[in-house]
Amino acid sequence: MPNEVLLSLSDISKTYTMGEVKVEALKSTSLEIYRGELLVILGPSGSGKSTLLNLIGGIDTPSSGQMLFGQQLLSNGREKALTRYRRQEVGFVFQFYNLIADLTAAENVALAAELVAEPLAVDDVLRDVNLWERQDHFPSQLSGGEQQRVAIARAMVKSPPLLLCDEPTGALDYETGKMVLRLLRDIQKNHASTVIIVTHNTAIADMADRVLRMRSGLVAEIVINENPLPPERIEW
Amino acid sequence: MTILTRRLFRTIQAGRGQFLALVLIVTLGVIIYIGMSSSYNNLSRSQQQFYQDYAFADYTFQVVKAPESIVARVEALPGVLNASGRIQKDVPIIKEGQERITGRLTGYSLPMENELNRLHLLSGRQLEPTASGKVAVLLDPQYARANLLAPGQDMEIIADGKKVSLAVIGTATSPEFIYPMKDAGSLFPEPERFGILMLSQLQAQQILGLPGQINQLLVDLAPGVDEEKIKEQVEKILAPYGNITSYPRKDQSSHLVLQAELDGIKLFALTLPFIFFLVAAGIQFIILTRLIRSQRLPIGVMKALGFDNCRIMWHYTSYGLAVGLVAAILGTGLGIALTAVLNNLYAQFFNLPNMTNEINFRVVLYSFLITSLVGIASGFFASRSVIRINPAEAMRTQPPSSGRRTPLESWYWFWQQLSSSWKMSLRSIFRNRGRFAVSVLGIISSVVLLVFSCFSLDATDYLMNQNFEQINRYDYMIRFTEPVKYSEILDWTRWNEVQRMEPMMEVPVKLHAGGESKDEVLLGMTPSNRLKRVYDKLGQERQIPEEGILLGKRVADKLGLQVGDEVVVETTLGIGPSRSSRLTIMGINEPMTGSGSYVSLATANSLLEEQELASAVLLKLDAARMPSVENRLQEMSRVASVSSPARERETFEQLMGTTTTSIAIMILFAGLLGLAIIYNSSVMTFNERQRELASLRVLGYSRGEVSGLLRKETWMQALLGIALGLPAGKAAGAAYIASASTELYSFPVIIYPRTYFIVAGLALFFVWIGQQLAIRKVERLDMVEALKNQD
Repeated sequence: MPNEVLLSLSDISKTYTMGEVKVEALKSTSLEIYRGELLVILGPSGSGKSTLLNLIGGIDTPSSGQMLFGQQLLSNGREKALTRYRRQEVGFVFQFYNLIADLTAAENVALAAELVAEPLAVDDVLRDVNLWERQDHFPSQLSGGEQQRVAIARAMVKSPPLLLCDEPTGALDYETGKMVLRLLRDIQKNHASTVIIVTHNTAIADMADRVLRMRSGLVAEIVINENPLPPERIEW
Repeated sequence: MTILTRRLFRTIQAGRGQFLALVLIVTLGVIIYIGMSSSYNNLSRSQQQFYQDYAFADYTFQVVKAPESIVARVEALPGVLNASGRIQKDVPIIKEGQERITGRLTGYSLPMENELNRLHLLSGRQLEPTASGKVAVLLDPQYARANLLAPGQDMEIIADGKKVSLAVIGTATSPEFIYPMKDAGSLFPEPERFGILMLSQLQAQQILGLPGQINQLLVDLAPGVDEEKIKEQVEKILAPYGNITSYPRKDQSSHLVLQAELDGIKLFALTLPFIFFLVAAGIQFIILTRLIRSQRLPIGVMKALGFDNCRIMWHYTSYGLAVGLVAAILGTGLGIALTAVLNNLYAQFFNLPNMTNEINFRVVLYSFLITSLVGIASGFFASRSVIRINPAEAMRTQPPSSGRRTPLESWYWFWQQLSSSWKMSLRSIFRNRGRFAVSVLGIISSVVLLVFSCFSLDATDYLMNQNFEQINRYDYMIRFTEPVKYSEILDWTRWNEVQRMEPMMEVPVKLHAGGESKDEVLLGMTPSNRLKRVYDKLGQERQIPEEGILLGKRVADKLGLQVGDEVVVETTLGIGPSRSSRLTIMGINEPMTGSGSYVSLATANSLLEEQELASAVLLKLDAARMPSVENRLQEMSRVASVSSPARERETFEQLMGTTTTSIAIMILFAGLLGLAIIYNSSVMTFNERQRELASLRVLGYSRGEVSGLLRKETWMQALLGIALGLPAGKAAGAAYIASASTELYSFPVIIYPRTYFIVAGLALFFVWIGQQLAIRKVERLDMVEALKNQD
C-alpha cells in the first residue's frame, strides 16, 4: 500500500445556491489521497460523490476548507492556478465521454497532448486503448465503449498523476464496462497514477485499494481493501 | 396569458442578449425606413405645394431685351396658360470693404397674384409697386444671414454702370431659389458671395436703364401639351429681340439639386432598411432553427401531450413576431426623432417655406407590417422543422453531432500544420455552412454600408482637390460686367503683385447638329494657359485645341457627335447679333463638374467676329501682397466680381460639416449591424458547444484559450466578410453614382486605399466589441453545470 500523500482535503464543504434554496452537497469532509492508489467512491445519487470528485479535479471550488496538492493550495479558487492544476496534474473521464464532435479520435487525444510540455505519444496511447486502427474516426462513428476509450486516452496522454473517472462505465454494457475497468487498472499499475473512480456500482469496489462510501454529503466510511480483485473477476 | 405565451417570454428572457441583438438590427432598419421615407414625403410634399402655390414656371426664356408687350403675344399661344415677363440680371454687389460679389437682380411685377415664380415673404415687408423713393430689396435668407443684413439696412450695387443704394426690407424665397446657385459651374451655394436681390419690376427697370423692357419670359404650359412645339413658337416670337437661351423646369439649377436630393433619399429609403431586414431575417431563421433543435425534448413532450404542429409552430413563429413588434415600436420612436434631425438639416439647405414636419402614419403602419412579416416569415420557415420531430424519438438522447471531413483536408500538408483548435473551428464552419454564410453576408452588408458612408467623403475630397489644386491654380478670377479688350487691361501685369495674368472668354452658344440643338457655354482660353487647366473626371489633363472645339461629353451625347464631326455654333451673347460658325470636334471631354466644352481664346473671339475680347481674367499673385490687389480691383467700375478658390474652399468645408453628421450616423448604424451579427453568431456557437467548451476547460484549457476558439470562427466570418465587402462596397458606390449622376456632377468612383483600411479597422473594431459581449459567457461558463446535463 503506497502512502505518499498526493492530495489532502481538510474540512472541505460545498454549498450550492439554487434559486432561493441552499443545498449542502458536501458537508465538512477531510480526506487524504495517496500517490498510485486506486480509490473507488461509492454512494447513491445525491450523496455528494460527484461533488467531491469535481472539487478534487479542480473544476469546482469548495465553499470552505482547505485543499492542498503537494505544497500547492487549491482551495482559494484562483482561476489561473486551477487551470494549471487541471492541465498538468489531472485527467478526467466522464460517463458521457464529452468528446469534441468535430475532431477525430486521434485529434481528440492530440488536443490534450498540445497542452503539456512532455505528453505521451498520441499513437502509443491509442495503441494502449486498442484504438489505433480507428484513430481517424469521428466520435459519431464510434461505439460507446470506443468513445470512452478515446476519452481515457485523452486523459492519459498528458500523463497526469491523478486520473478522475465519473461513472466511467455508467453508459456502457457489461463487457465494454469491464474492458474499461481493466484499462483503468493497467494505467494505475503501469503509470503509477492515482485513479479515482466514482460509481454507484458497488461491484467495482472490489478492484479498489481503498473504498470510500458516501451518504448525504458525508463520508460514511473508508475501507482498505487488502486484496483487490482484478477487474476480470468482478461480476455485477 | 396562455402557458405557451408565458413560455415564449421565458425563452426570450433566457436568451435576451440574442433577442436584443435581433431587435437592434430590425430597429436600425425601421429608423432608417421611417426617417428617410418621412423626410422624402415631407420634402417632396413641401416642394410640390410650393411649386404649385407660387406658380413655378414650366419654361424659362432669356432674351437680350424685349418690350413688355411681348408677354401678351406669348400668352395668346394655344397651350400656354400663363406667361410673365421680367428683368433678371447679375450685378456686382459692393460689400463693406469694397469687396465685389454677384447679386442676381430680379424684378417682380406687382401685384404678383397672376405672375409666375412668385415670391414668398419670409421676413420683413412685401415689395410695393412704386418707382419713386429709395429702391427696396428683398434678399434670399441665406445671403441675408451670411452677410448679416437685416431690414432697415442699406446695401450698394452697381447697375447700369452706376452705384445704387438699396434698402433691405426683408427676406423672401421663390420656387426657383430653393437652392440658390450662381450657375451650373458652381459646385455648391456660396451665400457669402452670391445673393438673390428681389425688386419691384419698375424699380429694376429703372436702375438698369431698361424702362418698359424685359429680358426673361416665364411660361406656364397646359398639361399634356407638346413642350418642344410651344418652345419653338415662343422662340419664333422672341427671335427679333436678341439671342435666346431657354430651359425647361427640369433643367433649372435649384430644381435639379432638390430633385437629385429627393431621388437620393427615395433610393436610400427603399434599399437601406431592407438590407437590415434581410440580415435580421437570416439570423432569426438560424436562431430559431437552433432553438428548435435544442428543444427537441420539450417539443416532443408537447406533441405527446396533444399539441398539434400548428400550435407549436406558432409558438416559435411568435418569437419572430415579437422581435418585429418590439423593433417597430422602438424604431418608430427613434425614426420620428431622425425625421426631425433630417428635416432640420434640409431646412438649412433649402429655402422651402412651410416645410412640413409630419409623422407619416402610413410609413409607421408599413414599418409594423414589414417587420411583422419579416418576423413571421423567418419564424415560419424555421419552425417547419417542428413537423419532423417525432415525440418518441425526441425524448431519447441525441447522438453526438456528426463530425465530418472538410474539403480542406485534401491538402494534407496544410491540414497537418493546423492545431487541433483550428481543425475544430474549420470543421464546425463547414458543418454549419448556412449559418456561416448568413453571418458572412451580414458582415458584407455592414462593410458595404461602411464603404458607402466613407466613399462620399473620398469622392468630395477628390473633387475638391482636383478643383482647387489641379484645375484652378489662380488666386483670383475677375469677371467683367461686359467683355473688355485684353489690351486695355494689359497694364495690370505691370502691377508689382501680379506674377501672371491670363485672359478668358466665356461664350454662351447654341450648338446644332443633326436637327437637335443644345445650349452650352464655351470657355475660351489660351491653349498655353497655366492658371486654369482642363482635367477629365479620371484626372487626365486635356489640351485645349488651337482650332476646333473640345466638346463636353454630355452635349456630345445629346447631339450624337464624335471626334472629327463638325458642329454648328451659334453665339447667344447678349451683345451684338448672333453669329453661326462651324467647328470641328477635336476631342470629347467628360469633366466631374460643369459642361466641359472648351475652345481657344482666338476661336472664341472669331466666333464673335471679335479680337482680343476677354470676359474675365485669372491672376496669380505674390502671396504677401494679395489684399492690396483685391482692394484695387474692387474699386474698378468694370469689375463684376472677384472670386477666389481659397475662399470657396473655406465655404465648402463649412458646408461639409453638416454632411459629416449624417455620415457618422450611417457609420454607427453599419457598425452596430456588424456588432449584432457577430454577437449573435458567437452566442449561437457558444450555446451549441457549451459542453465541448466545458470539457476543454476540464482538460486544462484556460478561459483565454477557449474564448480564442470561439473567436477563431467569428474572425473568419469577419475577415471573409470584410474581404468581400470592400469590393462589394465599391461596386455599390459605382451603382449609386451611375444612378445618381446629374447634369451638375459626375463623380468618379474614387475610394482612397486609406479608406479601405479605415473601413476594415472600423469593421474589426465593431466585430471585436460583438465578440467581447459574447465572450463574457465563457467567463461565466460553469463546467460542472455544463457537463452535468446530457442534452
